[in-house]
Amino acid sequence: MMNQHNIVLFIIIPMIAGLVTLFTHGKRTQQRVIGFAFLGVNLATALWALYTVLNGPQSILVSQMGNWPAPFGISIVVDTFSAIMLVFSAVVCLAVYCYCVFQLRDRFSGGFFLPLFHFLLMGVQWSFVTGDLFNLFVAFEIMLMCSYAMFTLGTTKAQMKQAYKYVLLNLIGSTLFVTCAGLLYGHLGTLNIADMTRMAMNDQIPKQAIPVICMLLLVFGGKTAIFPIWYWLPDTYHTLPSPIGGLFAGLLTKVGAYVMIRIFVMTFGQSDTVCEILAPVILVSAVFTMFLGVLGAVSMHSVRKILSIHIISQVGYMLMGIGLAMQFKEELSSREWAVAGAIFFIVHNMVVKCCLFLCAGLIKRETGSDELSQIGGLARRMPWVATLFLIAALSLAGLPPLSGFFGKWVLIKEGWSQQQYTLTAFAIATSLLTLLSMLKIWSYGFWSPPQGFYTRYPNAKSKTKGGVLAVGFLVAIALSMGFGSQFYLNICSTAAKDIISPKNYVTAVLGEKYIAQSKIIQNINNTEQKNKTHKTHKTTMIKINNKMEATN
Amino acid sequence: MTLLISITVGIIFASSTFLMMGRELKGVCMGVFLLGHGANLSILATSRSPLGMTLPPIISEHTLHQYVDPLPQALILTAIVIGFAVQAFMLTLLVITWRKNKTLELSKLAIENEH
Repeated sequence: MMNQHNIVLFIIIPMIAGLVTLFTHGKRTQQRVIGFAFLGVNLATALWALYTVLNGPQSILVSQMGNWPAPFGISIVVDTFSAIMLVFSAVVCLAVYCYCVFQLRDRFSGGFFLPLFHFLLMGVQWSFVTGDLFNLFVAFEIMLMCSYAMFTLGTTKAQMKQAYKYVLLNLIGSTLFVTCAGLLYGHLGTLNIADMTRMAMNDQIPKQAIPVICMLLLVFGGKTAIFPIWYWLPDTYHTLPSPIGGLFAGLLTKVGAYVMIRIFVMTFGQSDTVCEILAPVILVSAVFTMFLGVLGAVSMHSVRKILSIHIISQVGYMLMGIGLAMQFKEELSSREWAVAGAIFFIVHNMVVKCCLFLCAGLIKRETGSDELSQIGGLARRMPWVATLFLIAALSLAGLPPLSGFFGKWVLIKEGWSQQQYTLTAFAIATSLLTLLSMLKIWSYGFWSPPQGFYTRYPNAKSKTKGGVLAVGFLVAIALSMGFGSQFYLNICSTAAKDIISPKNYVTAVLGEKYIAQSKIIQNINNTEQKNKTHKTHKTTMIKINNKMEATN
Repeated sequence: MTLLISITVGIIFASSTFLMMGRELKGVCMGVFLLGHGANLSILATSRSPLGMTLPPIISEHTLHQYVDPLPQALILTAIVIGFAVQAFMLTLLVITWRKNKTLELSKLAIENEH
């Protein structure tokens, strides 16, 4: 079987793909075929990783770069959660790529767009596999850099201002991130996620580090678009071409959600103090995020605007899972289900949201507009797209037995059993309003009689085969998540177990030897604190070395 | 030394916030660049005060007290490189904006949007 060091491929494959497509940018067919091949290999590798993690001898794959031991070197880690995210990001990328190559105008289907696409994927996958906070920063920067370039690629005047908003806000977010990482290193002496988890489990997080951790919520919350800091998203996403909007909706905000689960639930969620401070904040933010987001979506009158604001509302459900998992420390199984629900919901949302954006693209291509007042009668004009759109929209709204239902059901059930009645009430209300906003698109766009300008001058039949194929692919996956929800939920709960009790993760990354050593350090520190002697960390290290030599 | 650095970081953050409040894009971009430098300086502070520490970071038991932690400097190096790329991108964006709109005032860009 393949070696566990192959997980480095998740960074290498998109990087090579990006470079090769960059050098073949003049030759369009060649560039596209190469891109497809690499994305296919990428999906296959992701599936291999998920299979190995679930069935293989080790449930966590670790590769230490340059064979430096864990907290000192760079670790690349794939656990079940990362593997799930890798598989679905590869799926979303493949679908969007398929759409872009067949459908978009030249500036988005070839030339310098495809290399950017691959580098974006590299950043996304890197942030899924990275084992330390600073590499996460680097991965975020690569991802965001590509997204800036995609935002501004061939912009019109109208998009310029929105592009500035997006770029500047994200830059400030990144600067805050790097500051937080530096300060955290100053307080904890490590940035390795496994090592920080170990410290949190042993209650070694110093009090001074807690404000920095809370500041991290601001950073990741900004990327995920949670309640007080989501204002950049509705202004910017709808100016993007629909498939790129779909790519961003499917990947970028979900990377934020992934990191929030990884850092706040797995790492610092082990420390009771952090949970006590952050859980109420996250839960309140979840209520506002989901409800205000959906109200915004209901009030909009254009397909892409409804979909982009709706991203925010869906982030609320993910936050709800995170908050529930942090709030109730006693009930282990309940916390596991909350995280499993959040993971299922993230994955469902990646697929369905991206699918709806691609549908919006197909609508715009057919009618030349995505204002609800100017389109109509599409159910007759494009029956396939209408069917696929309806399935995706109902999945998003969460009608059983479609995929959105199960994620929400798990989350609402956990919220109810933990007596969070206001939260669950808002979650249910949001669900109903989601249905309303989707029906708005459906009844204006597809069901009502044709109206507006385009009906008088219908376009020539546009090529939509590639797009319909991409949408169909995503809908098929969404359907399989609905009908095979037991299978998917089982995988998610396996992932959630490792998140809630990360002992396996810590041992796999750090190794038994380091953990044993750090226990000795802790004991020495404790005794020294009792004796009120002030010695630095380094003198204790010398002591340990002496002690170990003595034992040897 | 740490106090000095933290005061400097405070001043840099304050002035960059002031710049970012402005209406002109050039100033806003400069503010963001300055913010990056402030962040780098604050990381440098975590590698302990360099006063009186003269030795290069080569580990031997007797010199352990006499060198600063080299890791934050490695972090800053990466952050500087990334920041440099971002600055190059922002400046390019400014040039393109100027060519297209002949203005760098955010409010004027907004007026053109409405047409």
